[in-house]
Amino acid sequence: MTKSPFMTMNNIDKSFNGVSVLKKVTFHVAQGEIHALLGENGAGKSTLMNILGGVHPFDNGSIQINGEEVKITNPRAAQEYGISFIHQELNVVSDLRVYENMFLGSEIRTRYGFLKVDEMCQKTNEILAKLGVDIDPKEYVRNLETSYKQLIEISKALLHKSKLIIMDEPTTSLAEHEVKRLFGLMNNLKQSGVSIIYISHKLKEIKEVCDRYTVLRDGELVGNGSMEEENLDTITKLMVGKSISQERLIQDHTFGSEVLEVNNLSSPGCFSNISFTLKKGEIAGFTGLAGDGRTELFESLFGYRKTYTGEIKINNQLIKIDHPRKAVKAGLGLVPKDRKENAIIKDLSVIHNMSLSSIGHFERVGFIQDKLEKERFQYYKEKLNIKVHNPRITIDKLSGGNQQKVIIAKWLEVDTDIIIFDNPTQGIDIGAKQEIYHQIVSLAEQGKAVIILSSEAPEILKICHQIYVMFQGEITARFKGEEVTEDEIMSYATGSKREAK
Amino acid sequence: MANTKMVKEQKPQMSTIKGRLSWLWSEYSVIIAFIIIFIAASVLSPRFLDMNNQLNILMQVSIIGIVALGMTIVMLSGGIDLSVGSVLVLVGVVTVLALNATGSIWIALLTAFIVGSFAGFLNGVMVAKGRIASFIATLGMMAAARSIALYIAEGGSISGEVSGFTAIANNNLWIFDYPILIFLIMTILVYILMHKTRFGRHVYAIGSNEKAALLSAIRVDRIKIGVYSLAGLLVSIAAIIETSRLNSISSSSSGVQYELDAIAAVIIGGTRMTGGRGKIIGTFFGVLILGILNNMMNLMNVSPHLQGFVKGLIIIIAVVFQKRE
Ligand SMILES: Nc1ncnc2c1ncn2[C@@H]1O[C@H](COP(=O)(O)OP(=O)(O)OP(=O)(O)O)[C@@H](O)[C@H]1O
Ligand SMILES: [Mg+2]
Repeated sequence: MTKSPFMTMNNIDKSFNGVSVLKKVTFHVAQGEIHALLGENGAGKSTLMNILGGVHPFDNGSIQINGEEVKITNPRAAQEYGISFIHQELNVVSDLRVYENMFLGSEIRTRYGFLKVDEMCQKTNEILAKLGVDIDPKEYVRNLETSYKQLIEISKALLHKSKLIIMDEPTTSLAEHEVKRLFGLMNNLKQSGVSIIYISHKLKEIKEVCDRYTVLRDGELVGNGSMEEENLDTITKLMVGKSISQERLIQDHTFGSEVLEVNNLSSPGCFSNISFTLKKGEIAGFTGLAGDGRTELFESLFGYRKTYTGEIKINNQLIKIDHPRKAVKAGLGLVPKDRKENAIIKDLSVIHNMSLSSIGHFERVGFIQDKLEKERFQYYKEKLNIKVHNPRITIDKLSGGNQQKVIIAKWLEVDTDIIIFDNPTQGIDIGAKQEIYHQIVSLAEQGKAVIILSSEAPEILKICHQIYVMFQGEITARFKGEEVTEDEIMSYATGSKREAK
Repeated sequence: MANTKMVKEQKPQMSTIKGRLSWLWSEYSVIIAFIIIFIAASVLSPRFLDMNNQLNILMQVSIIGIVALGMTIVMLSGGIDLSVGSVLVLVGVVTVLALNATGSIWIALLTAFIVGSFAGFLNGVMVAKGRIASFIATLGMMAAARSIALYIAEGGSISGEVSGFTAIANNNLWIFDYPILIFLIMTILVYILMHKTRFGRHVYAIGSNEKAALLSAIRVDRIKIGVYSLAGLLVSIAAIIETSRLNSISSSSSGVQYELDAIAAVIIGGTRMTGGRGKIIGTFFGVLILGILNNMMNLMNVSPHLQGFVKGLIIIIAVVFQKRE
């Protein structure tokens, strides 16, 4: 396939506050191809795309579209060149309705300046239908599941007739079938000559949908090529310098005593009749599609949501948790999903984000000791391979995956007996993912009880002893980790099969 | 090979200097602005550098300065406190009453602290538990506190009848009047509180991302109530100084527009209106900048009617500069 290069970035240099982030990166995208942009967390993928999207200026280099040099100085200019951008972090406005978000900044108006609401709603419906999403365009975005927010973000980019769509980790909150639909759509776009840059840490997706790839490491171009010629292992090696095994990581060991018992937990509209138990040393996985209620369930358990009925026992003690503080006191920790919304304190430094929930560990006679915090951070930095030049900068300056690692470090430091991870590897590269799985497994081996919420069946299969599948707020199936396949999980998650109770 | 390496290492070096400078500017723009204004003032008016004039400026800003410290904490938490001027008057009036009734300065001080922090506590409860926007809640408090003060003092002033009370604001240690010292000490204490303790850390977290703060197991409501109570306590210290200075307080004209001056100082000091970002040191210099401006305008005989215009201009310029970052 030799198509004309539609877009070229030549010898791009970029540094932030004196730290060089991109070094002479050259990147071509042909017309009508899906191009994977790969690399470890902090390799510079988002930065390169932010330059192309007019978010950041570059220091040196040039950008060409259709052979002509262009100056993209702001996001609007990028749009005028036919570039749409789906950002890594969600940018929807919670207090606006779905259609208002979709048309934000490009509202359809009558001659007199009034909004054409019906037309916008109808167009919203059309696009969402292509992605197989059924939501009311007039719904407020704040009431929606994350996966819907992500789908809205995607639809928004599809709204404009773009020639190049940048997708920076668009599927981190999506379930398998939603990803499938997205891929269908991407292939249609490709047929009609649209180019797509696709950033993801999920190699399976990349293999499935991408034509060519470019790999960055530490801000340098380390390889590119056509997807067909290479196998995934080669690419993995290019990215992280080693190959990654796909095997299950846990051995069955004997569990300790029961630490958590949940009986008939219900919350109208979110989940109903949830009962399960968890033992010391056990890793339980909860999976399902968007809207299955698992996030709400565990937010309730953690005391963030208060309107539920049923009972919760921790160490055989009936307990009423109505504040996250109480949950932590009772030995329950929660690494929430959607870090931008639920976990990142963007004005605090990387170190202070890490220590926020366990500040007592760093206090002496009531005063926080910078030195202790710093030492502790150093420990996690090495352990989780957090890439940060100066940990005193605010956390929003870190790459997405590295932010996520800091959030995981934060809860590892709290060190509760039961720890709930909601979509813990969101945006984390394959090498670091493996490291985090090992961390989780070793937590269990130390006798902690772990709960993992994930829409990625392979992830659940890899590290869970016990798997619960949820559908529309109910647990529809329960398996031992080693005796189930992805397909079987899917059939329960989509509601096409139900376990007789 | 060695050659390319050399080039690579030089490149970041060069941008480091540029990076450093922009970092310096973004971190310390208020201090740089202060230095510029200070130099400009000393060029414009020879009397400005006079030791007496310098001390005079510090004395003039001490009351607003203490109020602004509390305002900084409130604004860092993502709120605002419009009631500071009125609460200051209410505290002043009640304190003088307690002073005259008991004859004890200590009881008067205690009364001041209690009234001030209680008013702040009420603000905090309205904001945290009642989920009322801080602008509205403290606007209500502003009207209510002023009204009670007017009622108690029957619209006029009341004066202290206990000798010794005036010593608080009028005595000095070496060349420093007590209010200056109190302002400096409060600045240091609040600095330590905000940057070295968990309370401060939690305030920043709440102002930056309240939902994430809650999910980080921070007791958001309690911290907010603490923030407003503390602001009230600082107002009561300011009230004591204000009352002690003239040994009286006017229920109708004292404390008027203090909230605006305090907010102005906080904004000039670089604290973000929406919370989560800002520094105590910034506010300290913001207060000094306002003080120098007032002083200069007096020294240069600018009409008092125009002084508000100049101040307004400076505030807007300060905000424009912040936006650029
Ligand atoms: N605004 C910024 N200020 C300072 N440093 C930044 C800024 N944005 C990014 N960086 C740094 O640039 C490097 C590359 O970040 P980038 O976000 O491009 O990584 P990425 O490849 O997208 O990683 P991920 O897979 O985690 O999303 C990181 O080391 C990050 O800390
Ligand atoms: Mg990224």
